Amino acid sequence: MKLSTAHKIGRFFQYFVLILVGVIMIYPLVWMVGATFKSNAEIFAGIGFLTANPTLQGYIDAVTQNYGGDISIWRAFINTYSFVIPKVIFTVISSVIAAYGFSRFKFKGRDMLFGIMISTLFLPQVVLNVPQYLMYNSFGWINSPFYLPLWVPTLFATETYFVYQLVQFMRSIPHDLDEAAAIDGCGPVKILYKIIAPMLSPSLVACGLFQFMWSCNDYMGPLLYVQTPSKYPMSIFVKLSMDADSGFNWNRILALSLISIIPQLVVFFCAQDAFIDGISAGAVKG
Amino acid sequence: MKKAISLGVAAAMAATLLAGCGTAASSAAPSSEAASTADSTTAESTAASEAAPSEAHEINTTDPIELTISWWGGDSRHEAYQKALEAFHEKYPNITVSPTYGAWSGWEEKQSTALAADQGSDVMQVNWNWLYQYSPTGEKFVDLREYSDVIDLSQWSDTAKNACIVADSLQAVPISMTGRIFYWNMNTFKQAGIEAVPTSYDDLIAAGKAFQEKLGDDYYPLAIGQYDRMILMTFYLESKYGKAWVENNECQYTEEEVVDGLNFIKSLEDNHVIPTRPTMIAAGFDSIDKSQEWIDGKYAGIFEWDSAPSKYQSALADNSGFTVGEEIKFGDKANGGFSKVSMGMAITKSCQHPVEAAALIDFLWNGEGAAIMGSECGIPASTAGLAAAQAADAVKPLVLEANTKVLAFVDMPLDPYYESSKLKDTTDGVYTDVFDGFSYGDYDAEEAAEILLDGVSGVLSANA
Repeated sequence: MKLSTAHKIGRFFQYFVLILVGVIMIYPLVWMVGATFKSNAEIFAGIGFLTANPTLQGYIDAVTQNYGGDISIWRAFINTYSFVIPKVIFTVISSVIAAYGFSRFKFKGRDMLFGIMISTLFLPQVVLNVPQYLMYNSFGWINSPFYLPLWVPTLFATETYFVYQLVQFMRSIPHDLDEAAAIDGCGPVKILYKIIAPMLSPSLVACGLFQFMWSCNDYMGPLLYVQTPSKYPMSIFVKLSMDADSGFNWNRILALSLISIIPQLVVFFCAQDAFIDGISAGAVKG
Repeated sequence: MKKAISLGVAAAMAATLLAGCGTAASSAAPSSEAASTADSTTAESTAASEAAPSEAHEINTTDPIELTISWWGGDSRHEAYQKALEAFHEKYPNITVSPTYGAWSGWEEKQSTALAADQGSDVMQVNWNWLYQYSPTGEKFVDLREYSDVIDLSQWSDTAKNACIVADSLQAVPISMTGRIFYWNMNTFKQAGIEAVPTSYDDLIAAGKAFQEKLGDDYYPLAIGQYDRMILMTFYLESKYGKAWVENNECQYTEEEVVDGLNFIKSLEDNHVIPTRPTMIAAGFDSIDKSQEWIDGKYAGIFEWDSAPSKYQSALADNSGFTVGEEIKFGDKANGGFSKVSMGMAITKSCQHPVEAAALIDFLWNGEGAAIMGSECGIPASTAGLAAAQAADAVKPLVLEANTKVLAFVDMPLDPYYESSKLKDTTDGVYTDVFDGFSYGDYDAEEAAEILLDGVSGVLSANA
C-alpha cells in the first residue's frame, strides 16, 4: 500500500516536470500562432497568446501580396519544391552509393579519403560561398532557370553529414548478409539495392527528411544564385518585406511562416514512423 | 486518447523543429544605413562636378538593350521601384530592365559575392561603405563623371558628391543624405505640462524634472541607446569645441574634453532626462520602437536618423503627438553634428551599356522616376529629384521636415570609420563597452574616455 502511494507520488512528479518543461518548450510556437492574429503593438505588448482584437489581416496579406505580379506565395511554393525535391532524391541516392563504397570496399587510400571527407564536415559554408560562386559563374549557372547550382552538387554526395551517418549505419549491417547474397549470385550493385538499401530504409528516410527541412529553410543559397524575383523560393519570399528601417506588419510575416511550414509538417507526418525508427535504430545499434 | 495526445505533442514538437524557416533570423536585420566599415582612404575633396566626359554619349533608343538593377528594402520600396521601371520602359521601349530585390538581411553578402565575380547588377543600389569596402581603388564601379552628359550631376551638392568620391572616382551618386534629429511624443510632454518642443539643454533638464515630478519615475523625456549616446556626445562636443570628432585620420579631442562629453551624458541621466542603460536593458527590448515604454508613451523622445521615424510613429499606441523636434545647439563654437550618405546608386564596371544605365539613374533620381520614388529611399539628395517628388506629392512630410532641419543644421564632416563595426557593434563594440560600462558605473569618466580614445585611434590606425 505504502509502496504504491510512494510510487504514485513519484509518477506525479515525473509527469509534472515533463509537462512543465514540455509547455515551456512549446509555448513560443503557440505564441507564434496567436501572434498571427495580433497587431504590431499587441505583439510587443506581452507574452500572452490570446488577443483582444483578433484580425485575419495577416493571413489575407500573406496570400494576396504578389509584388506587382512578380512573385506570390503559391509561385514561391512551386519554386521551392522544384529544386528541393530533386535535391532530396539525389542526396539520398548519391550518399548511399558513397557510403556503400566506404563501408564495404577496401581500396587504396580509402582511409585517407574518408578522413578528407569527414574534415569537410567542419568547413563552414560561408568560406565556400565565393569560390563556389566563381565556379558556377564560369559554368554560366548563375540565375539558372533550373536552379542548377542548388541541386546539381548533391549528385556528387557533397552532403558529408549524411554520408557519414550512412557509413556508420552500414557498419552495423552484418557482412554475412552480403556474403550470402553473393553466394546466391548477386553482384555488388544488386547487393546494394536488394539487401542493404531495404535494411537502411529508416536511415534513408531520416536523411531525406533532414535534407528536405534544411533545403526548404536555406536562405543564403537561393539568395546568392537566384536573381529573378519570379524564381524566388519561399525562404526569400518570406523575408522580402522585412525592412528594419520602415517597419512592417509582423502578423503577416508570422502568418506567412506558418503557412510555409505546412507542407513540411505534412511530409514529416507521412514519414514519421520511419523517421523515428531511423533515429532510434541508429542510436541502439550504433 | 493517449495516442491522440502523443500525436498532438509530436506534431507541435515537429513544428518547432521546422519553424526555423521564416521567423528565427528575422529580428536582427540591420537598418539600411547600417555599418560603414570603410577600408580605404577617405574621399578626396575634389570638386565633383567639374570633370567633363572624355567623349560625348548618346542614349541608344533603337536597339534592344537589357539592363539589370538591384536594390534592397521593404514592400513599399519594391513597389515604387517597379512602377518607376515601368515608366522608364515606356520612355525607352527598347530598354528592358530586369530587377532583383530583397530584404537587407544577407543582401551585402549577395552583392559582395556577385561583385567578386564581376556579376553585379548593371545598376546597383549601394550602401555608402561598399564604395570603400569593395571598390577601394575604383575597380568595381564606373566613374559617373564620365557620363555627366547623361546624368545631370549638377543636381547634387558638392558635399554630397564628395562623400562618394573614392580613389578619385565618383563611384556613385547619393540617393539621399541623412542625419540625426530628435522626435518627441508631445502627448506625454503635455501631460507633464510642457507645450513646446525642447530647443536647448536647459529645456531638456527642465523636462526631465517635470516628467519625474508630475508623471513619475517611469517617465522619461528621451530614451537613447549606446550608439545614440555616442552620436549625441559627438554633437555636443563638436558644438562646444568647434572641431570635428575625427579629422585627417586622427581624433581631435583630448581626454579632458571627452570626459566633459561623458559628463554631459551623465548629467542627462542624473537629471532624469534619459533612463540609465541598466534601466533600459532590464526592460529587455532590442530596439526602442519595440519597447512597451515607447508604445505607451513613457519614453517620450528619441534621437534617430531622419529617415527612420515611420516605424516609431506607427509603433505608438496613440501617435497623434508624434512630432519632429528641433536640433539642439549645445555649445557656441559651431552647430556640431554630421550628415551622411544613406545610400547611393552606382554602375558596375561589368555593365555592357553604361550610357543607358546612366540614363536610368538620371531618370530615377533627377527625372520622372523621382516623382514615383518619392521618399521611399529617403529624401532625394538631388535638387531636381526632390522638386519632382514634391510636385507629385510623393514625399512624407514628416521625413522631409526632419531631413530639412538636419541638413540645415549640421556643419561637421563624418569620418568614414565612425561607424566601423569594431566601434558600433551592439555586443562588443567600443561604443557599447564605453557607454554601457559608464552607465553601469564599471568605469568612471576618465577610464571611459581613455577606452574610447584608445578604441577610436586603434580603428583609425588600422585603416591608415
